[in-house]
Amino acid sequence: MSTPEHARHPLMRSVLLGVLQRVFSLLLLLFVLTTLLFFLLRMTGDQALALAGPDATTEQITAIRAQFGLDRPLGVQYLSYIGELLRLDFGTSIISGQGAMREATSRLWATVALAITAMAVTVALAIPLGAWMGAMPNTGARRSLAGCIFLLQGMPGFVVALLLVQLFAVQLKWLPFMGYGSFSTWILPTLTLASFLLPKLTRVVASNVDAALREDYIRTARANGASFTELYWRHALPNALLGATALLGTQFAFLLSGSVITETIFGWPGIGSLLIRSIQSADFAVVQAVTLLIAIMVFLINTTTDASFQLLDPRLRRGAG
Amino acid sequence: MSVLGLLGDPMITDLSRRLARPGEAGFLLGSDQLGRDTLARVLAGLRWSLAVAAGATIIAAVVGVTLGLLAADRPGWIRLSINQLVDMVLSFPGLVIAIVVVAAIGHGFWALVLTLGLLSWPVFARVVYAEARSLLTRDYMLAARLAGSSRFRILAGHLLPGLAPSLSVMVAFHFADMMIAESALSFLGVGAPLGTPSLGNMLAESRQFLFIAPELMLVPATAIVLAVIAANLVGDGLASQESRLEEEK
Repeated sequence: MSTPEHARHPLMRSVLLGVLQRVFSLLLLLFVLTTLLFFLLRMTGDQALALAGPDATTEQITAIRAQFGLDRPLGVQYLSYIGELLRLDFGTSIISGQGAMREATSRLWATVALAITAMAVTVALAIPLGAWMGAMPNTGARRSLAGCIFLLQGMPGFVVALLLVQLFAVQLKWLPFMGYGSFSTWILPTLTLASFLLPKLTRVVASNVDAALREDYIRTARANGASFTELYWRHALPNALLGATALLGTQFAFLLSGSVITETIFGWPGIGSLLIRSIQSADFAVVQAVTLLIAIMVFLINTTTDASFQLLDPRLRRGAG
Repeated sequence: MSVLGLLGDPMITDLSRRLARPGEAGFLLGSDQLGRDTLARVLAGLRWSLAVAAGATIIAAVVGVTLGLLAADRPGWIRLSINQLVDMVLSFPGLVIAIVVVAAIGHGFWALVLTLGLLSWPVFARVVYAEARSLLTRDYMLAARLAGSSRFRILAGHLLPGLAPSLSVMVAFHFADMMIAESALSFLGVGAPLGTPSLGNMLAESRQFLFIAPELMLVPATAIVLAVIAANLVGDGLASQESRLEEEK
């Protein structure tokens, strides 16, 4: 049988190769992460004591140790733990009694929806702002906009959230200060999460546009009488945006860190607030399920971005040229 | 710190003077729900943030520079595994893993410093690796090698000074990032031990008094923003100085 058509196509092959390499690193990451979690969570204290409660007798604790296999050597416990993970058994939540992974995936939608909304708002604000800033001469308006961006970059995300809550929920009473549901509950969490990437993206777009306008071919074209508007819209801006979109893909992991903070502040029922709640209540199965879920999500996003950039940008193709 | 000590003790509680507005009851910036001096607590909190950020930045820089140089100098499995590790750590949301690690090994100064430092070194390693690779191809490196300098001497004596300008910029920005990370962890309750005057803890506590005492939030928030901006300004200054020097060459 001959090689299938897609495998012979050099572009498809380079994309596939990239994906394979990423799957390998995902497996490595999952292995390192689960091992780390296993030993870390056993450092937090005796699980049998936690499960038995404060009034348990020594016999009861011994019984619980035997029941959950905690009396076995650590190596054996580790192997059986890896075995359970391979059978996709992530344990049960001690709070809800539900499967830990089911609990985590049931909250995935709220996190993903908020991340997408925030990403959309970031792009809608940062690209026009950056494109305008990069093309402007170094006047007072540009400098004061750059100053605002610099100020925003110095604000930790939770400070942005607290200020937004204080202004719009407490002082003006326009918006609810927490909750999840109607349109108005989405505004403050979206703005908070958007503030994590907005300054970075605006700066990158601005400096890309600025650099593109200084390119020799643009100068030559302008000297030859091409109109600035035409050059700006057809050459400088598209080039600058390609670089900026690459940034978005790599910053998704950072955005998820922001989700943990945003969701905790606004009581958003996503996996970020679940992580914090589970850590506070020592619900280790859920902590582990959430961490693994986040690793897989980041992997999917990074792989998709990488693959689509190889398709979009010929310079990135493996073995090209 | 004795000068700051004159302003008041951050731990002394006085319930008769609780939740004072700024300027009232002898508190320049007011007092919190236990009657503790907000100004004294903010100063103590800043000291805590600066110390954690400094410790974490030193660890990240030392580990990152060492491994970055090692990866640049040793092709083969050493380079491959270091770069794989760097990619892996950078692709994962740092705050998530920091939360889990700090929750497991316990709150406290060294737990925070070690966790933040050991999770953020890849930022240094990646830049050092890329710059060292390009510096190693320069003629003076070849000259040093031909003159019989040891590997260590080449790396420490010839390569490291060449990296110094970009390293100093990175240290300043990293310091700002570490301050943000520390306060975020403390804010989420997995950073500074409860009751420690830290900016993150103060901001978390202020949320109960959202409606009656917004200054409990505004004062530490201003402090953290100013500290982060100061570090960013240093980084920006160093970066523009470096690019000016590049242009003069």
